[in-house]
Amino acid sequence: MIEKKQQIFNKLGLHARAAAKLSHLANMFSADIYLIFNEDKVNAKSLLGILTLAASVGNEITLQAAGADEKEAIQAIGDLFDRKFDEEI
Amino acid sequence: MIKSVIITHGSLGRELVQVAEKILEQKLDVEIIAFDWQGDGSGMIRQLEAFIARQGGHKVVIFTDMFGGSPSNVSTRFIGPNVEVISGINLPGLLKFFCCGEPDGAFRQVVKKVEQEAKNGINIISEYLGEKK
Repeated sequence: MIEKKQQIFNKLGLHARAAAKLSHLANMFSADIYLIFNEDKVNAKSLLGILTLAASVGNEITLQAAGADEKEAIQAIGDLFDRKFDEEI
Repeated sequence: MIKSVIITHGSLGRELVQVAEKILEQKLDVEIIAFDWQGDGSGMIRQLEAFIARQGGHKVVIFTDMFGGSPSNVSTRFIGPNVEVISGINLPGLLKFFCCGEPDGAFRQVVKKVEQEAKNGINIISEYLGEKK
């Protein structure tokens, strides 16, 4: 199991479209993947679960993955955050 | 592959699909049928029959807006091994189906997950936040 601290850079935070991209990406990996924020831990493969975090720009969350492709999963998801979810604003 | 159709009062289904497409940033493969307020429901039945017939044996999930309403009532007659109806569909349920609902997975499993996600999306927020504190 590996973890990574990740800051949220996009202005709208983990809103619906970002959560959709994140859950879609997470579902491409076999590893169990979680987001941890403010003592809440949600399944990164659940769009609705991600939304319940109500995490905003500037917040720091923890990415956690466990499974055969955990390293690739954390790398890909971290990249998505770093790219601000490919949002232009 | 599970095919889907949304059948609702008025343009509710179209609006839901359009919002889901915006969020998921993709065109969704879903048939949209609007209840004709002036009609007796026979038009909806014909459209549903034609849609299901076109799927050539693929599993079909019918999303309706409200249990007991006309769109839901006309849909129930199609329930069978290959067809299931989920009433009271909302945005979380639709997103679950199209985003991460494993549309190639076991039919029963997919419809149960969509039902659960739709239910999970309804909260009295003050109570939800209270429970989290």
